[in-house]
Amino acid sequence: MSRLHKIISELEEISTHPGRAVRKQMEKTGKKAVGCFPYYTPEEIIYAAGMLPVGMWGGQSEIKQADTYLQSFCCSIMRENLEQGMSGVYDMLSAVIIPTYCDTLKCVCENWKVAVPQIKTIPMVYPQNRATSAGVAYMTDEYRRVIKELEAMTGAEITETELLKSIALYEGYRRTIRKFVAISGHYPKTLNARVRHAVIKAGFFCDKKNYSTMIGELLSELKKVPSEKSEGIRVVLTGILAEPDALLDLFDENGVTIVADDLAQESRQFRTSVDMGENALEMLAYRYAIQECSLLYDEAKRRGTLLKDLVKDNRADGVVIVMMKFCDPEEFDYPIYKKELEEEGIPMLYLEIEQKMDSVEQLRTRIQAFTEMVMHKSLFYNGKENDDVHGY
Amino acid sequence: MYMGIDIGSSSSKAVILDKTRRILASAVVNTGTGTQGPEKVVETALALAGLFPEDILYRVATGYGRMLYGKADRQITEISCHARGAAYLVPEAGTIIDIGGQDAKIIRVDRDGRVENFVMNDKCAAGTGRFIEVMARILDCPIDQLAELSTRATEEIAISSTCTVFAESEVISQLASGAKRENVAKGAHHSIAMRVAGLGGRIGIRPIVVMTGGVALNLEIVRALESEIGYRIVVAENPQATGALGAALYAAECNL
Amino acid sequence: MDQKVTSKALLGELLDKHYQDAIDAKARGKLVAWSTSIAPQELLETMNIKVVYPENHAAAIGARKCAQEFIDDSESKGYSIDLCSYARVNLGYMSIRDSIAGNIPMPDFIFCCNNICNTVIKWYENIAKDLGVPIILFDMPFNHTYEVQEHSVKYIRGQFEDAIAKLEEISGEKFDYDRFREVMAVSSETARWWKKATSLAASVPSPLNGFDLFNYMATIVCMRGKQEGLNLFKLWAEELQEKIRNGEGPWKTGEEKYRIMWDGIACWPYLSDTYKTLKNHGINMVTSTYPDSWTIVYESNDIDGMARAYSSNYVNRNLDYGVDNIAGIVKEFSLDGIIYHSNRSCKLMDFRQYEVQRRVRERTGVPSVIFDGDQTDPRAFSLAQYETRIQTLVEMMEQRKQEGRCER
Repeated sequence: MSRLHKIISELEEISTHPGRAVRKQMEKTGKKAVGCFPYYTPEEIIYAAGMLPVGMWGGQSEIKQADTYLQSFCCSIMRENLEQGMSGVYDMLSAVIIPTYCDTLKCVCENWKVAVPQIKTIPMVYPQNRATSAGVAYMTDEYRRVIKELEAMTGAEITETELLKSIALYEGYRRTIRKFVAISGHYPKTLNARVRHAVIKAGFFCDKKNYSTMIGELLSELKKVPSEKSEGIRVVLTGILAEPDALLDLFDENGVTIVADDLAQESRQFRTSVDMGENALEMLAYRYAIQECSLLYDEAKRRGTLLKDLVKDNRADGVVIVMMKFCDPEEFDYPIYKKELEEEGIPMLYLEIEQKMDSVEQLRTRIQAFTEMVMHKSLFYNGKENDDVHGY
Repeated sequence: MYMGIDIGSSSSKAVILDKTRRILASAVVNTGTGTQGPEKVVETALALAGLFPEDILYRVATGYGRMLYGKADRQITEISCHARGAAYLVPEAGTIIDIGGQDAKIIRVDRDGRVENFVMNDKCAAGTGRFIEVMARILDCPIDQLAELSTRATEEIAISSTCTVFAESEVISQLASGAKRENVAKGAHHSIAMRVAGLGGRIGIRPIVVMTGGVALNLEIVRALESEIGYRIVVAENPQATGALGAALYAAECNL
Repeated sequence: MDQKVTSKALLGELLDKHYQDAIDAKARGKLVAWSTSIAPQELLETMNIKVVYPENHAAAIGARKCAQEFIDDSESKGYSIDLCSYARVNLGYMSIRDSIAGNIPMPDFIFCCNNICNTVIKWYENIAKDLGVPIILFDMPFNHTYEVQEHSVKYIRGQFEDAIAKLEEISGEKFDYDRFREVMAVSSETARWWKKATSLAASVPSPLNGFDLFNYMATIVCMRGKQEGLNLFKLWAEELQEKIRNGEGPWKTGEEKYRIMWDGIACWPYLSDTYKTLKNHGINMVTSTYPDSWTIVYESNDIDGMARAYSSNYVNRNLDYGVDNIAGIVKEFSLDGIIYHSNRSCKLMDFRQYEVQRRVRERTGVPSVIFDGDQTDPRAFSLAQYETRIQTLVEMMEQRKQEGRCER
């Protein structure tokens, strides 16, 4: 196996067996681990406290116990997280930080306190009026409150120096993974949809220092091999996340290359850089103030513009919407950007997903039909004079 | 000769075309994927056309079971195939409606029968053939006689629930409180039409509207749909076989 | 005060006037705001800006059984069937703009407060985007602690200040702080009388049937800062006291056999169906969880108190508070049972309901049922299922009464 494939398979292993990966690192470093619920948590602070931040993004287990707390029309990531918390999957964590970005998170945070009493719960409120001075002040106050909770766990102070070091490390990680995202479209075979996702997701279960090193090495190995030709269509993904693997396999099966994403689990995590602030907490608060996501108040409703730019900059053929069923913020954004993309003639494919799906047959038909629609010219009308590909 | 095979969840269809794209044979078998249905429908179509398997130059499979059928040269989705087949039969078609056992689809096509846009129902069974089956069962009426039952209605009992489970309990309690079966049947047809028309709103419906798939044989649904969408609907000739016809047309093109 | 006018008649008049005022203001080129139901209306009232409450309007459309048309319209634009039906009705109304339930003028700006849910942020963002109008957002941090934290108060106060600046900018007029103090006083006083009137239902039998409560709720939403609102609730309280003195129950005919609480919003399209089913069993819904959300009481000129009041409604507080709140209601109103509405539209109310139900049951012993429904989507409710649940509740309440008798 080449060095390139070895790194990829290591990352895939981490991404598919996160529990194992986290335990291994805890043993190796002696660090405590703190769970981080979606969507954005102060990982820098946890890291500065000398603990390991661990992402919590649901899974594919059968829902049994979570039904005690949540109705069936609750988002599948949250049902999964609660289910796994209740069945002891997360028992290696010393605490869990749960932010309350949406109505479901507010409730899940409250239920978690009761349903998973063995793990300390640290609720966290991110302000929605983010860019005002009152909002920034509130954000830094919340950071301070969380810092106190974490300090109580370790018995050690989290110093400004440690915070700044941690921010520098995280900024480095973000730069590196952004390079990976930018280049992945050039390797549609080596970095197909499933691999691309696994490489990015692995970051949630690694010490970001080691992870950045691995991604850095992966990038330099990639430079040694020639780029690969994509045979099908090029798309931008938008939504919360693109799972399960069976869905990603459908992209690969139909020659769909992901050239960019606007996923909460992927680029939304790392596309924004720290750009101002007089101290560590202000830097974090100001970075949060300019982040873009359906869960964060946006009077300008820039999502459509953002997607149009992603399509243009990456020469994509269309946008695939992976709609997390029962996610209000995502479902509310859709009609607005749908109209804007339609006006631009950008083809869209709407896929409703849940983390665990009994069958992906209907998705297969939709994805294949979408590629047929976008590509029909080259597929069936070769040699014939034709118009441009029709959009919407 | 070219063959299109449409393997659905509950039936299999096959169409054979000659080199001039004339229909030589068209066959339907009422068992679908995972059964002997696909084999049988191919044999039947060959027999009807008086051909041997080796006479077929190219085969395209479509439908729910297209990936599981090993003998096709190519698999193309039922979206593209219904569009192609309907446009062949009705060249001016602008929108195709296909209600199948599992899915309801609305497809907008350009003048060459190419897909411009499409929309399918979500996971919920409302607005699909499955909903009709459930209603037929509660009303204790063979599914092919449901439309006829509905034509005898004196009034319409509205079924407001979209959820099939809720609709079931709603209908049961309507019947228990003395509602007539035929009036409930009329409501059931209307309910499906509303759901499908709502789906159409998402991409916009452009005439001429062509309806394909087995449910198009139910004229009550066609009528209810016409009043919901505000356009006359042309029912494709032999609507069940439209997908297979489209597949056969693609087979002819692919073999060029 | 004219004794011949009943509060019910006055209520109708006031609501008509409320909508007409907004329509007239719009026609005269004055500003109209669309606001969420528990927003700091004091600021708008101070500036004499007319307000319309889309939640009220959507509920009215639901109750007039004409929601489907609006829902179909927004769903055809791509709004998911799983989203809040108030939002779907309102976003549909934005393009249809005509309803037999009454019409509302389009807003010049949006006034949004997320103490009732974060869904309103997304909903109102979309209205503002579609119409190209500005938003004033009040972000009330979710209280995962029992009480409101001090840094939240500071943040909310800062937002009030920002909002005043933005209102001055939008209207081109100065904010009058003296008038503000007066409005604060009236608003608090109205809220006190609202609380007083609704609390009178604690009498046995209750002078109030709770479905009337749903009607009066429309006025506490839109009349809280106005003298007319204050007069209305005083009158209502007097009428209820009079009924108590005369020993009158909730209905002209029929005895109040069971007293229950309704958790969550009404099923507006099935208001009379849900009411009749209860009444047939002699069940009176004496109160509900959320009327108290409008008990926004604070000292005049106490901005911090106002900030605290606006962020301490029960849905914005933690589960422990939710349990204490209902357990307190059970005691205060001498309840026999509780009906929980698992409302497809309201995830914030729903996703704590199971645990709240368990704990309240444990603490009070009062039986309860959960039924599936929706506040305005007529497709998400089954009367048959509801009737069965209510009958089960009656059986449980009856059993408990008999056991109680044996113990005594």
